[in-house]
Amino acid sequence: MSREEVFAKLNEIFQDVFDDEDINVTETTTAADVDGWDSLEHINLLVAIERGFSIRFTMGETTGLKNVGEMVDKIMAHLG
Amino acid sequence: MSLVSSAFLAFVAFTAIIYYLTPGSARRWILLAASLAFCASCGFYSLVFVLLAAVTTFIGGLLSGPSKSRGLRNAACVITVVLNLGILCAVRYYGVIGLFAENLNKVFGASENTRTFMLYAVPVGMAFYTLQLIGYTLDCRWERTEPEKNFFRYLLFATYFPYFTSGPMNSYANLSVKLDGAKDAKFSIGRLRDSAIRIAWGFFKKLVIADRIAVIVNAIYGNHETYGGLYVFIGAACFAIQLYADFSGCMDVVLGASHLLGIEMPENFNSPFLSHTIREYWQRWHITLGGWLRDYLFYPMLRTSVFVKIGDGAKKLFGKKKGKKVPTYLGLIILWAAVGYWHGGLMKYVIGTGLLHCFYIILGELVEPVSVKLRKALHSDKMPYKIFQTARTFFLICLGHIFFRANNVPDAIMMYKSIFQPFSMNSETLASLGLDTGNLVVLLASFAVLVAVDVYKYREKQEEEPRLVLAKLASKPAVLSWAVFMILAIAVLIFGMYGLGYDSGAFIYARI
Repeated sequence: MSREEVFAKLNEIFQDVFDDEDINVTETTTAADVDGWDSLEHINLLVAIERGFSIRFTMGETTGLKNVGEMVDKIMAHLG
Repeated sequence: MSLVSSAFLAFVAFTAIIYYLTPGSARRWILLAASLAFCASCGFYSLVFVLLAAVTTFIGGLLSGPSKSRGLRNAACVITVVLNLGILCAVRYYGVIGLFAENLNKVFGASENTRTFMLYAVPVGMAFYTLQLIGYTLDCRWERTEPEKNFFRYLLFATYFPYFTSGPMNSYANLSVKLDGAKDAKFSIGRLRDSAIRIAWGFFKKLVIADRIAVIVNAIYGNHETYGGLYVFIGAACFAIQLYADFSGCMDVVLGASHLLGIEMPENFNSPFLSHTIREYWQRWHITLGGWLRDYLFYPMLRTSVFVKIGDGAKKLFGKKKGKKVPTYLGLIILWAAVGYWHGGLMKYVIGTGLLHCFYIILGELVEPVSVKLRKALHSDKMPYKIFQTARTFFLICLGHIFFRANNVPDAIMMYKSIFQPFSMNSETLASLGLDTGNLVVLLASFAVLVAVDVYKYREKQEEEPRLVLAKLASKPAVLSWAVFMILAIAVLIFGMYGLGYDSGAFIYARI
């Protein structure tokens, strides 16, 4: 899966989790840019990503991500 | 050894002199020797229990590392966590001696006084270092950090004396790097000046504000049957201020002492009483505990298959939007019960600092759609509404503090009921609170300074770094900084509460 394809799929997951079809995530998107992306919703987002990509993050990967770009790096590493 | 004592100041000064006279690579041995000496000064049990926790989590971390088999890693991690949490929970309830000898006490007919003394022999700092060291083992299991192979390096992380009694909590990945940096730390007058101001500010908060306002708190909570109506709120508000001045003052001493050694610790407070919501308050109050609970309890719990299945079932029952909230709320209830229990193992803590706050947060989530409309109608971006939000949040926190500070749950309920009793506020009842006019003036003036500093530091967006008074002072001539230090030091010497019954060891959070 290419980086662009991961972004496209990830964007769908973001739109679904945050119930907002106008979301368009980029490499530099952070929690401050997405309405409702707080510490409570973060875990719902991760679970949705794991399902969407059929991967399993390690606990170490669930915190400390600086932006969506880093999130995509982790997803791609799992997808191999 | 209390952090607010001349003995501690002498200890820090002595350690710093030896530390900076020692060649870089040997400094960590100075820190380790000082830390073990400090732990021993906190009591025999403190040293024994922290060594036990350090040894077990060190071995647990080694066996939880990626080079071992999956089964061994899981078993080692679970055993280490259960063992250390089990000891913490047991000591929470029974104290050290009581844990082993409560039955012996009964058999030998120990007097009530002796038993009480024994039951309170709880190791200092246990609630803090236990969580920090369990975090390390989990980090090894979750591959957030490499298992440490050098026990003495790890022991310094476990016992580092500035943090030992009251936090702030650190992850191994962060603190070990900083402790390694000790070899390159350079002494400077600027470092000494900043540390001195920070420590003096901590002493000021503790001795001038917290211990003074404690007189009012003790008067009201100690005789709660005689105080009703507004006095209950005065007691709760004063306790909120006492707790903040006490705990944040303690953190100032810790961070100041550590800064002197060139090792920066994370901040634990960020103007918490200026928060607009309860959720924001907990992101600004005891920040490192909140981060620990999020990373090691809340997130891992919500990612378990049980919670994911609960979420799936709830979505079918209540629809996608509402259903996905169900496991979150369930997780919050467990999280907040743990927060309350961590504060003291009694139901008054579980309610006052746990479940009541959980109720606020979940209620806030549930009424959010209405709140959004209300905020629009009331111009929530304007200052009056923000002031209302801050006052409301403080009021809700105070309601919890009635449980926190009351002797027990029945006393707290009685105090809630007495809010609605008639009361009179005259010079006689005000005088019964225990502070004369002079002390009240000192209290109000020093509290005003505390508020001014917090307002200066405050940034509405939490992702923005708070403004630091020390940074501001650093941009001015050095003489101004030294003047601030002298004013604080003189204020502590003249206005510090050193009267009858003063106990310099009684930091509220050091007893947790």
